Amino acid sequence: MQTDKLIQSLAATAHPVRPLANPWARAAVWTAIALPYMALVILVVSPRADLLMKLTEARYLIEQIAAFATGIAAAMAAFASTIPGYSRRVLLLPLLPLAVWLGSLGEGCVETLIRLGPGGFSLQPDWFCLPAIVLVGAIPAVTMVIMLRRGAPLFPYLSAGFGALAAAGLGNFGLRLFHPQDASLMVLVWQFGSVFLLTAVGCCAGRVVLNWRSRIGEGIRFGQ
Amino acid sequence: MTKADSMGYCRRPHGVAAKSRRSIQTAPGLRLPVSMTTRSPEKARSFESLMQAVQAGDAQAYVRLLKDITPRLQQMVRRQRRFLAAADIDDIVQDILISLHAVRATYDPGRPFMPWLLAIARNRLADSGRRHARQNAHEVQVDELPVTFPEQEANISDTYGDPEALRRAIKTLPPGQREAVEMLKLREMSLKEAASASGTSTGALKVSVHRAMTTLRKVLTKSDGRAD
Repeated sequence: MQTDKLIQSLAATAHPVRPLANPWARAAVWTAIALPYMALVILVVSPRADLLMKLTEARYLIEQIAAFATGIAAAMAAFASTIPGYSRRVLLLPLLPLAVWLGSLGEGCVETLIRLGPGGFSLQPDWFCLPAIVLVGAIPAVTMVIMLRRGAPLFPYLSAGFGALAAAGLGNFGLRLFHPQDASLMVLVWQFGSVFLLTAVGCCAGRVVLNWRSRIGEGIRFGQ
Repeated sequence: MTKADSMGYCRRPHGVAAKSRRSIQTAPGLRLPVSMTTRSPEKARSFESLMQAVQAGDAQAYVRLLKDITPRLQQMVRRQRRFLAAADIDDIVQDILISLHAVRATYDPGRPFMPWLLAIARNRLADSGRRHARQNAHEVQVDELPVTFPEQEANISDTYGDPEALRRAIKTLPPGQREAVEMLKLREMSLKEAASASGTSTGALKVSVHRAMTTLRKVLTKSDGRAD
């Protein structure tokens, strides 16, 4: 097809479109959808009995705030990565809360090792963590995919990876509100490990959920 | 459609943005036509206002915008992919325009237009490069595949009445093409048999026989003309 004909064809099929909100606003919308769902899951499974007491513990608070902040920052980075020309520096945003989160868990492991010695520093299976994080992060993950697909699939692996990190981070935040597992090594391996695994899976699925072919196809299908 | 600007280009060092109200990020080593980076403020503003009109559904503004950016995109692609034919460059530019169309909702009216466009163009250019590399690694381009069906109706062959002239023409072919014609057309070996006998791939044999047939057709048509 000649380019001139293509231009005429595109102009003939171009309907009005509403510009996407900026990534911060979209992250806020995503959080507003995720939090009520998380609250519902926690209510159904019942919050942990010692939650009020845990909220007074500094380490628990730091790790929860860091997990939540990682989720929000990763959501923001994911949305920014689908805006052509947006500053790529924003992709570094999740690194700080992630470092705080990992650092706190690491510091807890070292403290436990010093306090209890190698004998008391043991790792038990806790297979509940991964499916629980998936459950709490399910609707946030689906919402994230729907919202990311409205953007441009410039960096599919990166966008999907950040999106998965956002959902998994919030999933872990919710998990610790009802799952009474606080041993740093256990949290690091089973919970943070699950977040890492889900992020990696999301990253690998990047081109499946975000690609130009489906984006252009959706544009044609929805009459954009 | 505006005329293409002069052929001067500016090379932006890695990480250095052009001075404007907002920074224009360019890919490392991405050479941009001067027309894409040093537009007068009035013309720069017109892209933004055209794009806003496009988002509002103004078809005329859309045509004007696309016609304005098309020659610039063609120049950019030509600079980045000097080895491509004009038709391939047009394909990439059309890809960019279609992608722009699909994601025009992602343009923020408060931000400059060119970085937005260039990010899409860069991305589609990289995709086309990957596609090109994949095709070259796994495919052999032939314009005309040899006939593989035995039925007479499927074999459209130019009947030629002078076997001596044909024999002479075959002898003038380069060794590889002559061997391919002898094995596949005269001895009627299968592609696999011919490949293992000659020690080449079936793809290379197909290319050789295609080239040989083209050459023979030219040679024999010329000698027909001279004889007449």
